[in-house]
Amino acid sequence: MNRLRLIIFREWYTRVRRRAFILGTLLVPILMAILVGFGVWMERAQMEENKVLVADLSGLISYWDEAREAWVPACPDCFPERSHLEYRFAEEALSDDDFLASDYTLMVLFDDGILQHQTAKYFYDKSPALSTESAVEALSTESAVENDLSSAIERFKVKEELALNYEAYKRLKTNVRLVGEDVVTKDGNATGRTLIGFIFSFFMFIQIMVYGMHVMRGVIEEKANRIVEVVISVVKPIELMAGKIIGIGLVGVTQVLALTLLGYIVFQVGGISLEASGLLTAASNEGLELDFETWIASNDSLGFLLDVNWPLMIFASLIYFVAGFFMYASLFAAIGSAVDQESDAQYLMIPAMLPLLASYIVAAMALENPEGQVAVIGSYIPLTAPILMLIRLPLGVEWWELTGSIIGVVVTAYVLVRLSARIFRTGILMHGKKVTFRELGRWLRHD
Amino acid sequence: MRDLPALNIADIEKSFGAQCALDGVGFQVPQRGVFGLLGPNGAGKTTLLRMLNGITAPDRGSISFFGEPISREHLKSIGYLPEERGLYKSMRVGEQAMYFAQLRGMNKTDARSKLRHWFERLEVDGWWNKEVSEVSKGMAQKIQFILSVLHEPRLLILDEPLSGFDPINAQRVRDVIADLKAQGNTTILLSTHDMGSVEEMCDQVALLNHGKLVLHGAVPELREAARDGRVEVTFRDTVMEFTVALGASAELIRIEEEATVTGERRALLRLRDGTDQAEWLHWISGQVKLTSCALWQPGMREIFIQAVEHQGTDES
Repeated sequence: MNRLRLIIFREWYTRVRRRAFILGTLLVPILMAILVGFGVWMERAQMEENKVLVADLSGLISYWDEAREAWVPACPDCFPERSHLEYRFAEEALSDDDFLASDYTLMVLFDDGILQHQTAKYFYDKSPALSTESAVEALSTESAVENDLSSAIERFKVKEELALNYEAYKRLKTNVRLVGEDVVTKDGNATGRTLIGFIFSFFMFIQIMVYGMHVMRGVIEEKANRIVEVVISVVKPIELMAGKIIGIGLVGVTQVLALTLLGYIVFQVGGISLEASGLLTAASNEGLELDFETWIASNDSLGFLLDVNWPLMIFASLIYFVAGFFMYASLFAAIGSAVDQESDAQYLMIPAMLPLLASYIVAAMALENPEGQVAVIGSYIPLTAPILMLIRLPLGVEWWELTGSIIGVVVTAYVLVRLSARIFRTGILMHGKKVTFRELGRWLRHD
Repeated sequence: MRDLPALNIADIEKSFGAQCALDGVGFQVPQRGVFGLLGPNGAGKTTLLRMLNGITAPDRGSISFFGEPISREHLKSIGYLPEERGLYKSMRVGEQAMYFAQLRGMNKTDARSKLRHWFERLEVDGWWNKEVSEVSKGMAQKIQFILSVLHEPRLLILDEPLSGFDPINAQRVRDVIADLKAQGNTTILLSTHDMGSVEEMCDQVALLNHGKLVLHGAVPELREAARDGRVEVTFRDTVMEFTVALGASAELIRIEEEATVTGERRALLRLRDGTDQAEWLHWISGQVKLTSCALWQPGMREIFIQAVEHQGTDES
């Protein structure tokens, strides 16, 4: 046991102290933060001031205010203050030349026809900026102006044509929003949660693939270094293989933990800075500033994050990673032991990689239909379950499905480790021989 | 306990598929001293050494280690320097030495103090914190040698321990082996093709060929037994004069064309059957300027070649 611990520590320590590992781990969140920051900066840079002239030829939504000596909206509430968007009203349109010479970016022509065909034409010299607000609200300039003008004309109709109180009308007016709910999990927003599942699946695929390859390379390197004979004269080959797999697996876990910690820090710092920026306002009441978590909960596109059963997700991911990694890493270790150099391993790797690649492809397809038959069956098959069960998990699976799948993966991992160890102990001492599948079969039977 | 052999190898058989690697091999390695395990490439030496290290198991037969059936428990009492050897390139010399010492069951303090002693003795003490990738081949060989003797094993298995060393470092390692032999606590099993080392260091040898034991015994006895009536003479005549004088009295096996600075040449002869050696010596002394004459004793190299060729002839 002590020897196994020594091997595990050596495998882990000699890798995590490498500059490439440290830089790689630190750089991922830093690069992501830089990328996000750059995106926000780009977006802000693109957010030009929009000065809109509403040429109200109909006089339906504006009037001349003597005191201010300007045309003002009949319904000021219909034109709420928005950053990067400012309205001016006039009774006449500007000529093209005057418009181009002015500082207006848009000119909306609003005539009597609006009541018949509900269409107003607008003019611009440059296409209006993508967004009036931050990306958070993601409302285009065009939509914002449309919303505001619609409210204004609606007010006119309610007040002038129906002789009703517009404020009372607004209170009565009801917009129905459809919110989905899964009858099993009682959760909504399946798309968002499928995406979470896919992110976990993708990460699992990458981790198993990358660190599985590390195991194979480690074995080949040990064999090429001719050190293996000294090591296995002290420890059993299965101890060496297990130590290598666990040690390298722990490198993966270390990276995940480091990334989680760094991600948490970035999330917290990002949340605090977003809170401080005042961008986190309630969708229903823009004046109300929210803390980060409440903002996420109130946000249509991000609220699902709070619906995911994170403890179960993390717990299941951990089990699937450990068992799945053992399953594939033992195969990769066996392949590494059977060859002298990495290029010889290519054709032996194909059958080992196929289930892994297939499960990733199915996972990508399951983004469209996570409850599809292929994904469901794949989540039961031990070789594909570590990836495919994770994409289904956020949507809710029956307890027996999850338990059965985990048992299947653990048992398969155990069997594969035992079988791989048989190949490993023979292959690790074999040099200069091109190994065939038949030969591997003989090693398996050989006691 | 003192009389028990360090190793009792009895009737070992091992096959890999259709290929027979060891076929009924059996011999004893006495305690203390240096025992040479000889044989041409592919004779089965490495397979046997791997069995002693628990890496492979025999199909048949048994191995006893100081009277007990050998098991993994004995591995901590065995030091092994395989022919195929290396070091982890991503580790520093010192931490790698500590790693292997601990794998052998040593505690950190003991390992550190013993390593310090051995590093000083083999003059690698300045390399503790160096990356293995910076270390020369000879230096790496010395570190590998240290790792095999560090835990003071009762049985030290050295497979070609001198390969890769320059003459100075090879002598240093020879001295260490001689010291270990003199201390009497370690039995050394030496596998090598260097017959000079065998004659210099080994007390006994076993010679394997094609998986079979073809020769086994003490080195002086084997050399004595290998005498075949050949005579080695030195003389001050020309090759032509010596050959003419010799005539049909003896078979000329080998003669040196070049004379030494003292004008001597050496020749190896086999006298005709029934020739009286004393009479022949008296006669030839009158024919040529003989400076020495002695019964020839073959070296381990000749014994090795003869035994291997002899087995090859027998098998064919």
